[in-house]
Amino acid sequence: MVVSAGVDMGTQRVKVAIIKDKQVVGKAQEFVGFEPTKAAEKALEEALKSANISREELEHITATGAGVDMATFADSKVSMMGADAKAGVYFFKSARTVIDVGAEDARAVKCDEYGIMQDFIVNARCAAGAGTFIEAMARALEVELEDMGPLSLKAERASPINASCVIFAESDVVSLIHREEPKSEIARAIFDAMAERVASMVKRLGVNPDIVLVGGVAKDEGFVASLKRRLGIELLIPEEPIYAGAIGAALVAAKKAKRARRRAQ
Amino acid sequence: MASEIEKGTKYIPEMSKSEIDDLNKSMKTSSLKVIEDNIEKMKKAWKNRPKAMEYFDEISNLFGKRQEEIKQQKAAGKKVIGYSCIFAPIEMIIAAEAIPVRVGSGWYDSAKLGDRIMPVEVCPVIRSTVGAQMVNLSPFLELSDAIVMPLTCDGRTKLSEMLADHKPIWRMNPPRVKDDPHTLSMWKQEIMVIKEKIEKLTGNKIDRKNLKAAIEKMQQATKAFRRLQDLRKGNPVINGRDAMLVNQTALWDDIERWTQKANELCDELEKRLEQKQYSTYPDTPRVMLTGTPMIWPDSWKVPNLIEESDPQGIVVVDEQCSGDRILYDPVGVDEWTMSDMIDAIGERYLMACTCPCFTSEHGNEDRINWIIDRIKEYKVDGVIYYVVRGCILYAMEYQRIKNVLDAMNIPVYYLDTEYTREDVGQMKTRVEAFLEMLEARMDI
Repeated sequence: MVVSAGVDMGTQRVKVAIIKDKQVVGKAQEFVGFEPTKAAEKALEEALKSANISREELEHITATGAGVDMATFADSKVSMMGADAKAGVYFFKSARTVIDVGAEDARAVKCDEYGIMQDFIVNARCAAGAGTFIEAMARALEVELEDMGPLSLKAERASPINASCVIFAESDVVSLIHREEPKSEIARAIFDAMAERVASMVKRLGVNPDIVLVGGVAKDEGFVASLKRRLGIELLIPEEPIYAGAIGAALVAAKKAKRARRRAQ
Repeated sequence: MASEIEKGTKYIPEMSKSEIDDLNKSMKTSSLKVIEDNIEKMKKAWKNRPKAMEYFDEISNLFGKRQEEIKQQKAAGKKVIGYSCIFAPIEMIIAAEAIPVRVGSGWYDSAKLGDRIMPVEVCPVIRSTVGAQMVNLSPFLELSDAIVMPLTCDGRTKLSEMLADHKPIWRMNPPRVKDDPHTLSMWKQEIMVIKEKIEKLTGNKIDRKNLKAAIEKMQQATKAFRRLQDLRKGNPVINGRDAMLVNQTALWDDIERWTQKANELCDELEKRLEQKQYSTYPDTPRVMLTGTPMIWPDSWKVPNLIEESDPQGIVVVDEQCSGDRILYDPVGVDEWTMSDMIDAIGERYLMACTCPCFTSEHGNEDRINWIIDRIKEYKVDGVIYYVVRGCILYAMEYQRIKNVLDAMNIPVYYLDTEYTREDVGQMKTRVEAFLEMLEARMDI
């Protein structure tokens, strides 16, 4: 029996998952703040507590995410794409592509039935394809972030906006408000624009079903509806998509712990 | 009218001497630091790095020994002929007793200067070379009496005009359709024009005897190069970065001495191969580089990333005109007549070249075949396709190469970057994920 932990050092939150015998038994998340290492330790502690497991029982900790080097207590690391691939197949056996849309970047990974990544593509240059884009636009629309999705679903069309850049999009949104366009149509335009960027990235990689959507933004029904339209395909979404990176890393950690045991024998 | 046109032909703006000196000093200092850092990194990654590498470290200093040597030879009456691209017929330069040096720039700092006269969309190799000229940063560019500039891409075509502000430029017009019946004869005429220019500049006639000697010199260099390449085919006895450095110094070193030193290195490496003394773990994923030239010293950021990544990779071969393509093909002469030798030079520089500036009925199939063959010979696990922003020809050929590699089940990663140090962190994430993938595939 192997007990392992995965730590996903995201740009906004750190997520931790504990795995025992290939099952997730504990998880927790914390805002990164100014002390990412401390936040990670705190999240780990909470996750362990929720799983009723002591720190000593952990055989291996694997870290991932943009701030991976800040998880100084980890035993090893894995790339975000590698963790996504593992988690995608863990959530859904039939997964062959995993799309991860986080706060500040989006990526897509192709994988095999073992969750080993075959190819990947990253968009980390531009915020217009990631979660912060929705946040900025919600502010411009004076709408709560969590209301953006339901609002957009009311619209039957999307307003035209320039979505190549957050800054330009924001000024477009302001002029649309002045023209008294319905907020729902503007909200839909925002999700459509974001989905277009993510979809074209996925298409460059090749649409390879089944497709799993993870990351914090996978919870946003407005974005999910737009992405489904753009890709013309169903998307599988796990219950807690935000934990994909942490769970993937914990699965990698379990593998590493087993390998270490084999080598010790 | 005439004076207006004349104004329009100048690209490089006037700069005050103090600004030039100031920028020159700071860029030179920063470049020396990058050179030193790169060598430090290579030493650190390869414990027991052979003594024979020290020679190449010394030659890699663009402001050091080699610059001094050329200065002295120039003072003694020799001519220096720069070239922007490996299409220039080196054998003819050597035959006329001139010194050939490549002048393309790998300095990130000077690319920012180039931004003053052209938009950032232009390939940074071009912006950086112009920037280097603006502040006299490149010793080899400065020392050149003339520059051979084959107009291979749009960037180099206009670069030839920009550099013409300061230097005599000898343009070459390479035919871009490789399989037309008149292609070789057109190219031969281009070579004959350059021959005459070399003769006029140096005052030395290129004849049967000195051309034969020059061809033989270069053939020896190719032999030494291939010997080193053979050593990269099996378990690693030399790291990729070190081999890349050896190969690239051939662009500015004295070629006879380079040949001798490369052979000395091979002697040592062959011994190590017998003793199974490897430069890194034999199960390290084997990477091939292809794409835009990776010019010393700043562009070493990519091989540094690959060979210092966790998991680590090793560059075993490349398909770049800054590396394995420089000396790969010898000039193959049947009969040592003047006309046969010139034909052979023409064929070697044109037909053997895999540059994406070419096309034919089958596209640039020579490049595809080159890549397929090298993948097999060097047991390549994955390919990194390196493209700098604005390098249109390489960027556009990617999809075709990817289709071929997909069919071979060889992973390929498109690594796009700029002449900047700011994206190293982001590139590291991508390179590490790619190597992790190669490693995972090897486990199965």
